[in-house]
Amino acid sequence: MVLYNFKKITVVPSGKDFVDIVLSRTQRQTPTVVHKGYSISRIRQFYMRKVKFTQQTFHDKLSTILEEFPRLDEVHPFYGDLMNVLYDKDHYKLALGQLNTARNLIEKICKDYVRLLKYGDSLYRCKQLKKAALGRMCTVMKRVGPSLAYLEQVRQHMARLPSIDPNTRTILICGYPNVGKSSFINKITRADVEVQPYAFTTKSLFVGHTDYKYLRWQVIDTPGILDHPLEDRNTIEMLSITALAHLRAAVLFFIDLSGSCGYSIAQQAALFKSIKPLFANKPLIIVCNKTDLQPLETLAEDERQIIQELKKEASKCAAGQLINAVPDDDDGCLLTMSTMTEEGVIAVKNAACERLLQQRVEVKMKSKKISDCLNRIHVAMPRPRDTKERPPCIPQAVIEARAKSNANRERKLEKDLENEHGGAGVYSVNMHKHYLLAVEDWKEDVVPEIIDGHNIADFVDVDILQRLDELEREEDALAEAALANDDEDMSEEELSPEEMQALAVIRRKKKKLLEEHRLKKTTADSRPIVPRRHDKDREYTSSRMGRHLVSMGLDPSAALNRVRSRSASRRGRKRERSTIGEDDADAMDIDQPSKRLRARSRSRSQSRALTEAIPGEGFKDTAQKQKAVKLAQKASKKRNKNARRGEGDRVIVNLKPKHLFSGKRSIGKTDRR
Amino acid sequence: MRLEKCWFCSSTVYPGHGIMFVRNDAKVFRFCRSKCHKNFKMKRNPRKVKWTKSYRKLHGKELTQDATFEFERKRNRPERYDRNVVENTLKAMKKIEEVRVQREAKFWEKRMKGKKSKERKEAAVELGQAIHLVKAPLAMQAEPSLTLPKVPEKMKVKVSVSKQDESQPMQG
Repeated sequence: MVLYNFKKITVVPSGKDFVDIVLSRTQRQTPTVVHKGYSISRIRQFYMRKVKFTQQTFHDKLSTILEEFPRLDEVHPFYGDLMNVLYDKDHYKLALGQLNTARNLIEKICKDYVRLLKYGDSLYRCKQLKKAALGRMCTVMKRVGPSLAYLEQVRQHMARLPSIDPNTRTILICGYPNVGKSSFINKITRADVEVQPYAFTTKSLFVGHTDYKYLRWQVIDTPGILDHPLEDRNTIEMLSITALAHLRAAVLFFIDLSGSCGYSIAQQAALFKSIKPLFANKPLIIVCNKTDLQPLETLAEDERQIIQELKKEASKCAAGQLINAVPDDDDGCLLTMSTMTEEGVIAVKNAACERLLQQRVEVKMKSKKISDCLNRIHVAMPRPRDTKERPPCIPQAVIEARAKSNANRERKLEKDLENEHGGAGVYSVNMHKHYLLAVEDWKEDVVPEIIDGHNIADFVDVDILQRLDELEREEDALAEAALANDDEDMSEEELSPEEMQALAVIRRKKKKLLEEHRLKKTTADSRPIVPRRHDKDREYTSSRMGRHLVSMGLDPSAALNRVRSRSASRRGRKRERSTIGEDDADAMDIDQPSKRLRARSRSRSQSRALTEAIPGEGFKDTAQKQKAVKLAQKASKKRNKNARRGEGDRVIVNLKPKHLFSGKRSIGKTDRR
Repeated sequence: MRLEKCWFCSSTVYPGHGIMFVRNDAKVFRFCRSKCHKNFKMKRNPRKVKWTKSYRKLHGKELTQDATFEFERKRNRPERYDRNVVENTLKAMKKIEEVRVQREAKFWEKRMKGKKSKERKEAAVELGQAIHLVKAPLAMQAEPSLTLPKVPEKMKVKVSVSKQDESQPMQG
């Protein structure tokens, strides 16, 4: 069976693209390197190969185009006519013919130039010949450019044609524009044809499929037809005419009873008459549409007359092809419907399918092949052997089970409960009610989980009471045992209060010592070493020492006296009454008191320098030292007044020491070398 | 809801408290507070950290094996609720707790038994060795009791500068 699918035709490139494709393929698929030094036969062969390859590529591509495009003489006459209408048969054939010619021309060019190349005597000449050959081939292709463009357009249009199978069961819908053809196909099939309230909304053929009697039916929607001679019809109308002429289908002729399509019933009847020859040998039904606007019964008398005539014509048509059709078959040929209210739509479809099926079966029965089929078919018709009733046997158990399950089906579902108690969001499901517990009342118990820092679930045990009894018995036994050996010796004495106090003081003291030691240790690095005499915290005072000694249980007076006698206080201390004078009054001369003693007894003020001559200083006595100091001060007095340099001034002995300013200087220091 | 045990210190973790760490091998670690979590992150072994339950149990500081511990056991098998059983359990739990507390007290007493005499001995030694820190040996000679010398509230050390004093030797 021939499938009319034109979607797989390869793309036809435009003339320029065609040349580009072929030349680039030549470049890619033939050797590209040739040298003057090669033997001439090799050079010739190199270029000949190029020319031949190019020709071959052109040939192949053109051949595919010629093969893939359908030949108008070979396709089904329906498609043949369709293409003639759509693309113009002459133009189509001419275009293909031109391609064929171009193919031959290119072949001829190739042959000529290959022959010439055989006589090429240098690389240069061979190259020029090749160039000329390819150039001429391309010129040929350029000339057929318009044909290629036309074929590409045809291809694109053909790919979009509906895939109509001319041989299958088909229902064809025709009539004036805007009478409801597309609405009808939309109702009975899944095709989605555009429906608009203006003429020629449908501009091409549309195909939909529907089912009837388990068979697949093809429904074709055609553009509307106007009533004028064939020569005046435009392309769109011609599509309908082609379909009517070539498809062996059930034809539904639509009539708009209301006239809302813009054509009166008389005009529609005229159309019917003019295209009547196309209905020959086809099941025909006249469909009166839009009964919701204008029912058939309330039609004007003359118009109803016209309809009746049409009906007669249609039944005559039917009679022409149906052998056993009744001539006055009333209801079959005229049906009313309304696609708007869907009233009678299915009836129309069924009637059309039924008629077509009947016709096809009859045609088949008449053909010669049928006898071959019929004797292979046997339909068994079982005959009852007696009059006994044999009802199906259903076991009692099954019936009961079924009844039970039916009864169960009426139980309340959670959904019903929800609806009764306020619907979703209000009703909350009771999760407890399906619990399987020993006693029904327990279901709503609040089960304790935690008590006194323990999980109750960890303790739950069936025989916990027995175990607890055991534990208590064990505990009693333990208590008894403890009583038995409760003779703990408390013989050892406690510490006396004095001992305790002493211990406490000792421990406090130890702790303090330890702390002090640790503190000293931690700050040892960062603390300056200060002489003990700068006793900032007044730590080493005689009073403190005295207190300490007392706390240790010692009499501090002797120690303090000793300290006093050894210390040289910086502050002046009031002179106490001298005991010397009293003691030695008799022995010494009162008028001549010792100078030394006077000096010693006088307390030194803070501003007064230490004038006492220290052994090793080089002075005989204090007086001599004081004299020397005075002299020294006097000597420097004048110089100090003039701000001159004196003994006490800082001296830089050598401003430019040689060792720092000699030798090479490189990276390093300039002050130490 | 259930109470969990802290992985580190074994204390009880109440719902909504602490932190839970799930390692990439699906082992679950629960911690009662950030202290335990931090110690875990420092990779400390709870058996070697003194304040944890595991240390104390390991080192005999607490009761480890006792019949009262046998009652509490995690059951991985769900039990069907039975009001009577739960009631009995609640009663029993109180009693078990009492017994446990008693036993722990007893254990503690037993553990602390020798402590007093030991402390006394140590105190005696310390008194003998360190009394010189608070009472001078000379004072001890004069008055051999452990009574500490008293220091008056406001002591003023008078220095008598007498000729006799100067010449006299220091007295104890």
